[in-house]
Amino acid sequence: MVRRSLAGLIAIGAFLWWSLPPVAHADTNKANVFIETLGSEVIGMLSDPVLSEEDRVAEFRRLLVNGFDLRTIGRFVLGRHWRRATPAERGEFEQLFEDYIVASYAARLGRYQGETLTVGATRDDGNGDKLVGTEIVPREGPAARVEWRVRAIAGNYKIIDVVVEGVSMVITQRSEFASVIQRSGGQVAGLLTELRKRTERR
Amino acid sequence: MGDLTTGFQRTLSAATIVAVLALGACATPPEDTEALEAYREANDPIEPFNRWIFSLNQLLDKLILRPVTLIYRFIPETPRQGVTNFLRNLDSPVILANDIFQGKFRRAGTTAGRFITNSTVGIGGIFDIATNFGLERHSEDFGQTLGYWGVSSGPYLVLPLIGPAPPRDALGRVVDYFLDPISYIADNSERWEWIPPTRVALKAIDFRSRNFDQIDEIERTSIDLYATVRSAYRQSRSDDIRDGAPGPLIPVPQISSDYSDEETAAVDTE
Repeated sequence: MVRRSLAGLIAIGAFLWWSLPPVAHADTNKANVFIETLGSEVIGMLSDPVLSEEDRVAEFRRLLVNGFDLRTIGRFVLGRHWRRATPAERGEFEQLFEDYIVASYAARLGRYQGETLTVGATRDDGNGDKLVGTEIVPREGPAARVEWRVRAIAGNYKIIDVVVEGVSMVITQRSEFASVIQRSGGQVAGLLTELRKRTERR
Repeated sequence: MGDLTTGFQRTLSAATIVAVLALGACATPPEDTEALEAYREANDPIEPFNRWIFSLNQLLDKLILRPVTLIYRFIPETPRQGVTNFLRNLDSPVILANDIFQGKFRRAGTTAGRFITNSTVGIGGIFDIATNFGLERHSEDFGQTLGYWGVSSGPYLVLPLIGPAPPRDALGRVVDYFLDPISYIADNSERWEWIPPTRVALKAIDFRSRNFDQIDEIERTSIDLYATVRSAYRQSRSDDIRDGAPGPLIPVPQISSDYSDEETAAVDTE
């Protein structure tokens, strides 16, 4: 019932955010080359007919963990609640966050329909990170405008955000997690319970 | 114009009821400063009421829109694309007006060109021929026009059937209704009065259909769907207002391998 393409954007965003995650290469120092290489790697993995479903999920996790800086992302997404969390809660959050991301999106891997990734211009985001502009082009229909925020960490590029048609995945997720915590009386434990529920199911 | 106003009076009295209900469902602002900051960022003073309407909309989706869309999807893709194109072509006059209100005459030219091409060569808008000629579609509405001239969205608001519509965008919808030639055509003859409700229903089905799997997926994976939609709605609207041009991005703080409290404090000041 939400009109316009809002829900679609979120959905596409969530899909792209986790289903096209690339891998870091030390030998390339250009952010757009990094995204381009990883994009083709993921598409190669998704369109490989030989790979079993199980191998695909395992490969997906590997690409995701290597290509994204999940610690930086998880930390940003937890925001101000990180400080209040106990060391045990922090540790559990980091593990659950990774599992949650993999569990939520691995199920979509089977739905790859020949989309291609076209890498465009790279710009500075004004905070020392790079934004690599891309278009995800489906076989039919309009392309989605996707920007990858990448950061050089110890000589490797890592993705720290995906912005789909202007919607930043880390900002959206931070807002969501903050809301869950607030609704459980300000307790990070409430979020952990929810994350656990969603990761145990698989 | 007479009936058009009566129709609107009905909508207005509904809005009054909504507002009264909303007042009764006000959230209490939190007391500590950080929580207060988060409260302001969410800018959702009537959240309990909004959540209630949101669940109502979700329920209507589950009971009516989703099942109807499932049946609709038995129609092959090509005619469904025709429906999408046709509905979009009908939006052109409102888009054109808002292009002009924002002084974007080049974009206005594109919209006019699309409307003329698709209404004729594209057989009443069923075929989007204009895109092949390099006249690509863009959206505009009066909410965006207000935003372009610096009006902020105001507190978050979810309306029954409509979804997210903070005051600026809700007002924008009202203005767009009066800008739309179809409102007048339907208003002046009983023969055509079925058009607006049919169009609204078709638009809902078309939208649900185009995003069918994605919506189901996001509903299944979200921990707090309401908060996700609220955040994404705001970001998406400001992207629309900027016509997709780069906007301000919140910096993502650096972290080092040790997780000291100073560092965490830096994160919090963002």
